[in-house]
Amino acid sequence: MSGIRTWAARLGDRQVSTGWLVVWAAIVVLLALAFAMRPGLFVDQAVGGLVFGMILVLVALGLAIILGLLGVVNFAHGALFMLGAYLTYQVMQDWGLPFVVALVVVPVAVGLTGVVLERLVIQHVYEENPLIGFLATFGLALMLTEAIRATWGGSPLSVTMPAALASSANLLVTTVARFRLFTVGLAALTVLGVYLLIDRTDFGLSVRAGVLDREMAEFLGVNMPVRFVAMFFLGTAIAGLGGVLRGTEVTMDIGLGQSIVILAFVVVVVGGVGSLFGSVVAGLLIGEAVYLTPVVLRVLAGATGIGLLDVPSIGGLMPYLVMIVVLLVRPRGLFGQEGFLE
Amino acid sequence: MTDEPPAGVDPVATPTSDVEPDDLAAPDDDPEAAPTPDVAPEDAALATVGLTRSFGALVAVDGVDLAVPAGELRAVIGPNGAGKTTLFNLVTNAIPPTDGAVWLGGRDITALAEERRPHLGLARSFQANQLFNGLTALENVRIVAQTARSGPFGLHLLGRGRSVAVDEAVALLDRLGLAGKADVVASNLSHGDQRRLGIAMALATDPSVLLLDEPTSGMGPTETRETAELIEALQAELDLTMLLIEHDMSIVLSISDRITVLNQGSVLATGTPAEVREDERVQAAYLGGVREAL
Amino acid sequence: MSRGSIVDRVTAGLPDAVGGVPLDQFRVPVGLVLVVLLLRPVIADPRMAGYPQLANTILIWMLFAASFNLLLGYTGLLSFGHAMFFGIGAYAAAVGLTRFGLPWVAAAAAGLVLSAAAAYVVARLIVQKGEIYFAMLTLAFAQAVHYVANQDPAGLTGGTTGITGASPAWLVSERGTKFVHVAGVQFDWYALLAVVFVVAMLAIWQVVRSPFGRSLVAIRENATLARSMGMNVDRYKVWAFTFAGLFAALAGVLVEVNNQGATLQLLSLSVSGDVILMTILGGSVFFFGPLAGAFVWLFAEDFLTGFNTLVLPLTELPMARIGLSGVLTYWQFFLGLLFVIVVLLSPREGIWGLLRRAVARVVALLGGGEGQ
Repeated sequence: MSGIRTWAARLGDRQVSTGWLVVWAAIVVLLALAFAMRPGLFVDQAVGGLVFGMILVLVALGLAIILGLLGVVNFAHGALFMLGAYLTYQVMQDWGLPFVVALVVVPVAVGLTGVVLERLVIQHVYEENPLIGFLATFGLALMLTEAIRATWGGSPLSVTMPAALASSANLLVTTVARFRLFTVGLAALTVLGVYLLIDRTDFGLSVRAGVLDREMAEFLGVNMPVRFVAMFFLGTAIAGLGGVLRGTEVTMDIGLGQSIVILAFVVVVVGGVGSLFGSVVAGLLIGEAVYLTPVVLRVLAGATGIGLLDVPSIGGLMPYLVMIVVLLVRPRGLFGQEGFLE
Repeated sequence: MTDEPPAGVDPVATPTSDVEPDDLAAPDDDPEAAPTPDVAPEDAALATVGLTRSFGALVAVDGVDLAVPAGELRAVIGPNGAGKTTLFNLVTNAIPPTDGAVWLGGRDITALAEERRPHLGLARSFQANQLFNGLTALENVRIVAQTARSGPFGLHLLGRGRSVAVDEAVALLDRLGLAGKADVVASNLSHGDQRRLGIAMALATDPSVLLLDEPTSGMGPTETRETAELIEALQAELDLTMLLIEHDMSIVLSISDRITVLNQGSVLATGTPAEVREDERVQAAYLGGVREAL
Repeated sequence: MSRGSIVDRVTAGLPDAVGGVPLDQFRVPVGLVLVVLLLRPVIADPRMAGYPQLANTILIWMLFAASFNLLLGYTGLLSFGHAMFFGIGAYAAAVGLTRFGLPWVAAAAAGLVLSAAAAYVVARLIVQKGEIYFAMLTLAFAQAVHYVANQDPAGLTGGTTGITGASPAWLVSERGTKFVHVAGVQFDWYALLAVVFVVAMLAIWQVVRSPFGRSLVAIRENATLARSMGMNVDRYKVWAFTFAGLFAALAGVLVEVNNQGATLQLLSLSVSGDVILMTILGGSVFFFGPLAGAFVWLFAEDFLTGFNTLVLPLTELPMARIGLSGVLTYWQFFLGLLFVIVVLLSPREGIWGLLRRAVARVVALLGGGEGQ
């Protein structure tokens, strides 16, 4: 029983009111209905949502690490994600190297780019108002995007999926591209790895201590600048990894950076600023919301005969709707910590 | 030490009782020992009843009962972490209490929002300088005076804001010895000047009860004495009730009418400086039993 | 006044800048008039943009940026969704003209009311939240409005294509220039635009210099302190947001006339982002800052993209591409760089602040003693 108790505690020690129970019940019913009526489409979309959600988690996690541990609102994060995608193109399409190479080399390259940005610009804004960091990285994002456009052009590019992962796996009601399963698996491993690093290693402990009291940690011999750089590298490398995975699966274009960073911010905010766990939960939640809502609405439209309900494009709006609802009910996001950036 | 009364129980809080407990060694022939009668919350200028604030398992302020009669200068002392600033924050509702009540001028104001309290006559200054950093000293005081006039919200779109309440602001700066520095940007003022600007701003709300949080912190001995004299003079001039958090014991002993001692969030003792000086529990909390240091 | 103190006053930085030098109350009206008088000839000069119509766009964006700065520079609120009110104004005017056959003035007035109401409601919902949550929520609401407009509800908004050919009855176009034709008199559209601009900016100026405006400034400086000194901070923020929405919508109805329609682009994230960039670049603590920023940004965009038409986009090897296309086509890179530098060096005063300091030094050098 203690496991459940801990879980309930993590949801904020709140009594779950009947109102919420009704809402959750309704959601479960709708999902079950959609699955029953259109199982193939449902599973397709659910997997799509999971994949998209995991990509969001990767980007949001990097963003949350940098925000939570370094206090910097890194708007350039999306551009770095995009760099990951374009570098993947470069490595696989232009230089013809195998996917594995891209998978290893590109995140490192993106991480190093992140470190360059950190050393040149971002380290100067650590002690300032977070708004300054945000604006500075806003400018950096602009520069990086233009640099990418200068190098690879403004037209969409795509990467040929590696043969080994191009086939489909059978999931009974539908088939799923192996690559998607690979994405989910790798992303999950990465999240686990980050958690272990931050929560279970001495290194992670020293970083967390340094964030709480930098002077004291440095006094005790902890080299904070090195750790800050290391965490920045980690955060941006994860985004780069996301870029590799996303870039291999879908076509990339120059607007990718901006759109993903906005969504990543939404995820971080919904999850609660300061909570890495929150980012993970919110990323999956929003990913599924984007992909499953159109299905549910379509099924409802069919069931009730109200054609208006069938709005396929509502997916694009879902992150924002979810954010508005969550923040109205829980002003600090799902797991936000009091006093963080307030 | 084993039969001291439970922590947090201040006899002052009992509405009809005006007797100190027997175990406080209060010399009967000490002229300073003629106490102001303790008052009920309804009759005090400022009172708290069982005021409590917890942060999770940590109880920062624990059932504090306080009743400050009108016109009294009450010092609040205690070791670091005793909960003094938190107490101030609760009184002004900068943070909401977990339990208990706050009374101002005979009215229970516990539910009243923070921004409305200055308009009822409750003002404060801060331990760590809280100023409108980019604005001049004059504008700092002026905007507070303007707010005091217009209430918590005013959609006053006509006229030139900077002309409103200027005379009051100038007068206050003058009184606090900042006349020549009216045009200096607040963040460029010296530390001592900033502390006094904070007091000027608190006064600009035209208060009846003033909470001062370590007004002399960071000041040298001369400045400290001057500020203490100023505070005493202001209290008399403006007929204020004051609650003063201070670490400098010489000031506390010289200017306060009565002292409340806090320790670990609860009231240890209340009384005149002489009474408190003799109080064993206070000595134990501060000094581990040695009497001479005070 | 001695030489030293003039430089001191002008360069005291934040407080005197907001509200200008206290005794010189005509500086802002005079400045505004100078702006509208000089803008068009300067822009039309062949060495600059070479065509006067850009001045129209610049004036409109100046007003839009000024409305945004009411939030950022004067109240300290960062909004990522200000395009929302710009777009509501434009769409209301266009929809009123084309779908309901209203006279333009009525449609525009409706737009202003609608936008202010929307701003008030949104603000009531979100001002209590912390900075970052507030900013993200403004984004969310703006995206929601964009989404709704894209859905073309009841055929009102024209979906992806928007509304075109929505022109007020009194507007005539002659050889690329727009004229206002009213009561038998004909004059340049720019003139009307300039008058509306000056009046609107003076209104914003009055809001900013009023007791209400001074309270906003205090909130910007230290909102916690403002609250403890007796200000209902949330209510002030709500009203600042409402006014910002109102003036943004005014810019929107003007852009609707200028573009003779309303498109989805007006509600886009890039518009919200651009206005942030312009305002910071120009200098958020100054009244004229956003105006300077709008001018620099739009002029640079026009001037630098002009080079683009000479070069065809090529798609060969990455390394060679940079050299061939001409570095100036990536003007956004340099503007981004300029932005980063400004943010690091002069985040609140921007370019206008640097300009002011330079002017002050020159004035002081020429021997102060200017009458105050």
